[in-house]
Amino acid sequence: MPSARTASRRRPLGLAPFLWVALLLYVAFLVYPVLNSLWTSFTDKNPLRAESSFVGFDNYTEMLTDERLRASLLFTVVVVVVVTLIANAIGLGFALLLNRQSVGYRVMRTLIFIPQVLSGVIVAIIWRSILTENGLLNAVLQRIGVTSAPVSWLGSTEMATLSLCAVVSWITIAFATVVYSASLRSVPPSLYEAAKMDGAGAVSRFRNVTFPMIAPGTTITVVLCLITTFKLYDVIAVLTGGGPANTTQSTAYYLIQLAFTNNLFGYSSAVAMLLLALTAGIAYLVTNVLRKREARL
Amino acid sequence: MYRLRRALTSVIAASALFAVAACSTSANTENGTGSGTSLTFLTFETPALTAKFWDDSITDALKSVPDTKINKIVSPNTDRNAYAKQLQASGQFPDILSSINPKDFIEANLLTPFDKAWLEENFLLPGANNIKGSTYIPPTNSQILPMVFYNKDVFAKNNITVPKTWAEFMTVVGKLKAAGVTPIELAGAEPWSASMPLVGLMSAHVLGKRPTWVADRYAGAAKFTDADVVAAVTKQRDLIQAGAFGKGALGVNYADANKQFLDGKSGMYLMGSWFIGQIKPEQAASFGSFLLPTEDGSLVVPFNVGGTTAVSAKAPDVAKATAFAKAWSLSPNNLRTLIETDGAFPMMKKLKLEDFGAKVTPVFTEAYTYVTSENTKVSSVGWVNNDDAMPPGVADLFYALSQQLFTNGDVKAQLAALDAAWDKAAGK
Repeated sequence: MPSARTASRRRPLGLAPFLWVALLLYVAFLVYPVLNSLWTSFTDKNPLRAESSFVGFDNYTEMLTDERLRASLLFTVVVVVVVTLIANAIGLGFALLLNRQSVGYRVMRTLIFIPQVLSGVIVAIIWRSILTENGLLNAVLQRIGVTSAPVSWLGSTEMATLSLCAVVSWITIAFATVVYSASLRSVPPSLYEAAKMDGAGAVSRFRNVTFPMIAPGTTITVVLCLITTFKLYDVIAVLTGGGPANTTQSTAYYLIQLAFTNNLFGYSSAVAMLLLALTAGIAYLVTNVLRKREARL
Repeated sequence: MYRLRRALTSVIAASALFAVAACSTSANTENGTGSGTSLTFLTFETPALTAKFWDDSITDALKSVPDTKINKIVSPNTDRNAYAKQLQASGQFPDILSSINPKDFIEANLLTPFDKAWLEENFLLPGANNIKGSTYIPPTNSQILPMVFYNKDVFAKNNITVPKTWAEFMTVVGKLKAAGVTPIELAGAEPWSASMPLVGLMSAHVLGKRPTWVADRYAGAAKFTDADVVAAVTKQRDLIQAGAFGKGALGVNYADANKQFLDGKSGMYLMGSWFIGQIKPEQAASFGSFLLPTEDGSLVVPFNVGGTTAVSAKAPDVAKATAFAKAWSLSPNNLRTLIETDGAFPMMKKLKLEDFGAKVTPVFTEAYTYVTSENTKVSSVGWVNNDDAMPPGVADLFYALSQQLFTNGDVKAQLAALDAAWDKAAGK
């Protein structure tokens, strides 16, 4: 049996290689790309050319007058807010409905999670075939007499935005449902029993027991919804292609266009930095607000 | 919290598993024999240009280039230009590239030109794809875009004849609308297909009178805000306001628009000549095509000489890559497939249409006469691969303008924005 002194000497030595590997991977795949992108944002780099020049803050000042960037940011914020609200509200609702311990409910929880594990591209392809003018949704609506002419789900800015929010919410609801389901199972049953004994009804039990007790789950779901929706690209690329007339372009979609259509690597890197700062800043603020709520538990 | 953590771990693990699964398939394949040069070939697949087509065409071309291997790279979508840029950015620029717009790549000295003697020897319009005097994609075939396809049965039923002037065209729109038929089908969901009316109007009504308009725009001697351009673009607003397009036109994708037009739900369809490949022989008697009319009825052909294979200047063996590209471009088998499925009009000096043994419909042969006849051919605005190609990113804005016109009637302001984008992209 090793002495206490030997053990204390061995432990860090045993863990050190794993820590170094983790650190190396973190630096190689996160820190370096971010720093490289930051550097590129101060250049006029073009994806087709090896050489580039330092242009200082030119790319950042250009963003101030870029109307397409402004429009993409506004669109992104709208989608983020709508999707986060819908995903959390419906995800929590589903979790409450499925909060039972039978095999059937477990199967339903698994089924609800399917959209989350599917690739965004596949989800978008499925929904595009549903939402297209001759698609399934219009066929059903016309068959049951809700509408006589097909609805153009992707043909106007408003309807395309609505459709996009619905599809992204559909994906995110899956994630929210699973997280809230797990959170609900972590609430001690004794709290419900005590509340019942105090005469609390279902609504009161939800408001005073369930909702506060699932605060950690709320934090995770809200913050991850915000982050994933802020960087939304794949669903837009397939479902609307940023249209009609570039009105459903998220900032992530716009920066890819800038880089690989307009050949503006430097400027698109500056937009990427803006998106990173915005996402990190908002996620940090929201996390802090929600953590305070957790701390009150 | 333990359960929460466990659930989250499961979620992440499942997502990672699916991500890995999603990344595990690769469309890239290798053709060829021997231990000689290995070259990469960027291709793209469509319902007409299948994986088998590319594999067969590579095998066919390799017969002329022995001891060479070709690694086929398949673009994830039909935007080969963007994918080629991604590959270049990661140091993997392909050695041979199919059907790219070469202008961006030439400015970065990434492509090597074809020799003029070979071009002169083999093609009807050897200089049609010239950029600053050199050709980077062989001018093997051509397209007219857009053509106005029309349903002969619908026209006959409503006693309508093919319009010769713009005024007659607007009358046809009115008659079809009054008859309860959608006058013009529009694949408005995707910008490239939504652009067709605007491309037609700019090409016929602006370049028809001033063929050097794009060169003049580069030189600063022409603007989008010039009166002739404003008048042409306003014609699209006129069409929209006259109810020429379906109510939900901007939500209709290319496949649905094709189907609706072929099913007789609309009278006309502005699309590139590749649409001919969608018309089955048994349907062909019901369809015809004409060119978008001008004010005075003069015939203007919006023309684009397509190309096939471009060659990287950085290929490990440029001579072999060029030899492969030439063999691929001259292969009658490849062009036959393009003629039959993509409505490509052959532009080969030594081969006539009948030499390809392609099965074509009367719609094809009728449209092909516009290519072979002496007439006014102008660059199809926003689509050509020569000096008249737009600066990077501007073609996409031009396509999107066609969609914007549905909701924004301020034509001049939108054209001024396009001017600003052009100047910025062209570095002025």
